[in-house]
Amino acid sequence: MADRYSFSLTTFSPSGKLVQIEYALNAVNNGVTALGIKATNGIVLATEKKSSSPLIEPHSSSKVALITPNIGMVYSGMGPDYRVLVDRARKVSHTGYKRVYNEYPPTRILVQDVAQVMQAATQSGGVRPYGVSLLIAGWDDGILPEEELEVEVEGEKKKISGKTGGILKGGPSLYQVDPSGSYFPWKATAIGKSATSAKTFLEKRYTEGLELEDAIHIALLTLKETIEGEMNGDTVEIGIVGPPEDGLLGYEGVEGAKGPRFRVLSPQEVEDYLTSL
Amino acid sequence: MASILPGAPQEGIGYSFSQAAPNAASEPRQHSFYPYSDNGGTSLGISGTDFTIMAADTRNVSGYSINTRYSPRLYLIGGEGPENKGARIVLSVVGFTADGSALKERLDNIVKMYKYHHGKPMSVSACAQRLSHLLYSKRFFPFYVSAILGGLDEEGKGALYSYDYVGSYEREQCRSAGAASSLIMPFLDNQVNFKNQYQPGSGTGHNLQAVVAEPLPRERVTQLVRDAFTSAVERHIEVGDGLQMMIITKDGVQEKYVELKKD
Amino acid sequence: MGSPFSMNGGACVAMVGKDCVGIACDLRLGMQALTVSNNFPKIFGINDSVYLGLTGLATDVATVSDLFRFKVNMYRLREERNISPDTFANLVSTSLYERRFGPYFVSPVVAGINQTSGKPFICGFDSIGCIDFAKDFIVSGTASDQLFGMCEGLYEPDLGPDELFETLSQALLSAVDRDALSGWGAHVYIIEKDKVTKRLLKGRQD
Repeated sequence: MADRYSFSLTTFSPSGKLVQIEYALNAVNNGVTALGIKATNGIVLATEKKSSSPLIEPHSSSKVALITPNIGMVYSGMGPDYRVLVDRARKVSHTGYKRVYNEYPPTRILVQDVAQVMQAATQSGGVRPYGVSLLIAGWDDGILPEEELEVEVEGEKKKISGKTGGILKGGPSLYQVDPSGSYFPWKATAIGKSATSAKTFLEKRYTEGLELEDAIHIALLTLKETIEGEMNGDTVEIGIVGPPEDGLLGYEGVEGAKGPRFRVLSPQEVEDYLTSL
Repeated sequence: MASILPGAPQEGIGYSFSQAAPNAASEPRQHSFYPYSDNGGTSLGISGTDFTIMAADTRNVSGYSINTRYSPRLYLIGGEGPENKGARIVLSVVGFTADGSALKERLDNIVKMYKYHHGKPMSVSACAQRLSHLLYSKRFFPFYVSAILGGLDEEGKGALYSYDYVGSYEREQCRSAGAASSLIMPFLDNQVNFKNQYQPGSGTGHNLQAVVAEPLPRERVTQLVRDAFTSAVERHIEVGDGLQMMIITKDGVQEKYVELKKD
Repeated sequence: MGSPFSMNGGACVAMVGKDCVGIACDLRLGMQALTVSNNFPKIFGINDSVYLGLTGLATDVATVSDLFRFKVNMYRLREERNISPDTFANLVSTSLYERRFGPYFVSPVVAGINQTSGKPFICGFDSIGCIDFAKDFIVSGTASDQLFGMCEGLYEPDLGPDELFETLSQALLSAVDRDALSGWGAHVYIIEKDKVTKRLLKGRQD
């Protein structure tokens, strides 16, 4: 009688399980696949944008969201829950960080804050866990001096940037956050309905020293394996963490001002990538 | 009832002034007059072996308003005629300008009368003591000024006397008075009297040999005066516009004027 | 009683040099005219390259220094890195503004070197957190007028560590000698990128 533990609160079952969380994970595993790949010089987040009807306006919904100028995220699971979390993530990155330190939080700090919000929903009264898993991608400037790193790619030695992610070194970080509030850093991963097959695909395709353009390419190939409908600019959504886009600042001539690294690709840009697939 | 309280809100049509004018004529009103104001400014005097330099800025203020950018704060005392030809004593007054000019007028009269009576110019030390009495004579309605008197003593050495409002005075090597005196005075201690300076390599603790203060040459003192004022101008809004300097030597009093920042 | 800022007395000054910064404070603690202690430092180490100077009401100096020790320790645990002087300055500002209508009666000074950029950093604050980013020097405390006069007269840009120490010390010692509420010795810190020198100055004992 699992039902005995399914009333509104998240309560331990005698076997030590929190079944509400498992149900939340089920919601995620039924969700549309989303994936993320970390490259040396950026990160790509990609997902399928399903529309239930041909009558729907494709531009009215977006699944990849900007949190801070250098951090963005995507989800798999329940859309409304995700939008609440986007709001909370944006809010906490300001109230808990930008308004205190006058700078945006490093990726890991934001991930911890969002994870804390999700964990709280597994322990508080009168609430249910969030029915989403998140992929959070961000770039940190780092505080250590930059150094080059040597990696071996298919027997060949290759020099890559030592900015491999994290608060100290700086560079790209990709995290997955689950309904329980646990989080994991990844080089590449997928969540949602076809997460398992997508991850197997990514394991084959991923190489060290990947560049952002290659990562976008691999992301689309992975999505192609799992996608059910047609792939075009309106059905695929891509967010990237790349070089600073000073053109997106909305102003110029301010010394030291850097544009946002995170942006969502336009349907046209996605189409361009798809045609070269 | 409310009308007893001045400025209290009244019923009906209100007036922008505190009491309704027509029927307020018979009510008691309090007037006040405060006989002092502060016109800002800073003065400075440094004495050397055979000279004394007096300096003061020429900005005159009331609160945040600038009355004039050129009002002298240094006055020649004694000498001949309205131009004070041949004077050897300089008085600087900062604080309330009206009191300052009244004080200068009185001291000037006294020093001039002294010469008519005695047939010789008044010595700086005598003038200094007379000024003290002048200030103390108004012990209970004082001149609102910080005065500094400069000249050469009987041996021809630089002499400098500083005063409080009511005539307490002292002969010193250097003194700054007025609005920015708190900025300038420690600078003078350090650069004129070499306070806190020790001979390099003389050891530590009690072995330290203090740098002995010696009278400085004129060029050095002039430069210090200018530096002191340019510094004070940066950080004090009541100081600026111009710097009036008087250098008293046995040959007479040389007056200089240097521009200061006007912002 | 007068202003809470001048009940206990004290002075602090920070200066920028070439690839170095200096910060110095006096050691007096008083209750109005009565000197209670001649060993009350007003500079607190935040980490190896950031220092905080606090003048004003002594009880608030102690409380605020403890508060920032707590906040900075929490920051270090959470972020696994030392706080940079620029970030710490913003933390000080926001923390003070939280008490906008019941402020701590302190005038903080921050001095340090940003370990990422290697740039010297100094700034000062009013008691409710308005930051004064100065390129040259920051003064605070009951001898602030005197310190302004001294610094404006003695300071020059791009001083080396030894010259900076001399300038900073002369400025502080001569300034506190003209303030009855400050003095009784001094602490002087010279902060370089990978070296901090702390010196104790005796000064006039009156």
